[in-house]
Amino acid sequence: MQKINNHRNLILLIVLLVALIGFSQLLEGPAGTAEEPDIAGELTPHVIFTVGPLEVTSTVVNTWAMMLLLGVGAYLLGRDLKLRPGPVQNLLEWFIEAIEGLIRQMMDVQDTTLFLPIVGTLAIFIGSANLIGLIPHLKSPTPDINTPLAMALVVFFSVPYFGVRMRGLGGYLKHYVEPTFLMLPVEIASELARTFSLTFRLFGNILGEEIIISILFIVMPFFVPVPMMLFSIFTGLLQAYIFTLLTCVYIGGAIKAHA
Amino acid sequence: MDWNNLPWDKIFIVLTALIAGPGVIVGVIVPAIGQMVVASAGLKAIARQPEAGDRINTIVLLSLAMLESLAIYVLAVILILIFANPMLKYIIGE
Repeated sequence: MQKINNHRNLILLIVLLVALIGFSQLLEGPAGTAEEPDIAGELTPHVIFTVGPLEVTSTVVNTWAMMLLLGVGAYLLGRDLKLRPGPVQNLLEWFIEAIEGLIRQMMDVQDTTLFLPIVGTLAIFIGSANLIGLIPHLKSPTPDINTPLAMALVVFFSVPYFGVRMRGLGGYLKHYVEPTFLMLPVEIASELARTFSLTFRLFGNILGEEIIISILFIVMPFFVPVPMMLFSIFTGLLQAYIFTLLTCVYIGGAIKAHA
Repeated sequence: MDWNNLPWDKIFIVLTALIAGPGVIVGVIVPAIGQMVVASAGLKAIARQPEAGDRINTIVLLSLAMLESLAIYVLAVILILIFANPMLKYIIGE
């Protein structure tokens, strides 16, 4: 009975995936209408439909498809958690413990319940956003500059939030002027610059990978892009890890008493 | 020589391409040297003190990411130059 239940979850996920692929193909129009291979047109997001003045691009549609997949997957997997975990639950617990270890190591805190939601969510979101481009007809949201910028802005605003929450407003503002008042412009400039660099690191890495894969597809569509796509799995996961690590470092710098 | 009748739009595009290539070369080599130094220093540190491997690993990855972003800046500038040059509309005309 348990076996059947597990398989049913898997089948539900696969059916959802196929439905998403069909849906995105429906939105993009029938395949084979493109006359010429066009790298820039392939990589830039295009408007799918408009709601009033808002233009809904393919990035938004892909992001929502990914969120639907993640949400339904999380619901199905979290529905029957057991004391004696199966392989999937083991994997999830390993992931959560890895994130907790990262937080403990980089922030020097023992209680991770405050930081685990935002750090874990960023890791899962960016990791799956980088990987979802490997599914046919779905495209990664990360090569669009808006997605990494939104992620970096989340980090930019959560740093003062956690700083004020852990050390109080005065304590947080004091670290701008330590050791001397002259450090104030430098600190502000570094906060802005690291947001910029978080954005462009994620954006540039994934976009560069996608450009190389597109060029290989144009030059030689059969089998040649496959090693590069395998490498893009590694790059995507590594970039998600680095983004998570830097988030931990920045938040840790804000909450430490003597930073 | 009649400077006004030269095909400035074509010259501009050719110049862009000519600058983009060496720009990528320089912008990749210099961060690569930096990453090389970091990686070799990290390896030496782990070989000397294997029990500190976890901390060293994290710091090495962090530094590599910082150096990587320099190369990514070059990539972003070159992509803007080639695909979305903001000056092009002044050269070619509206």
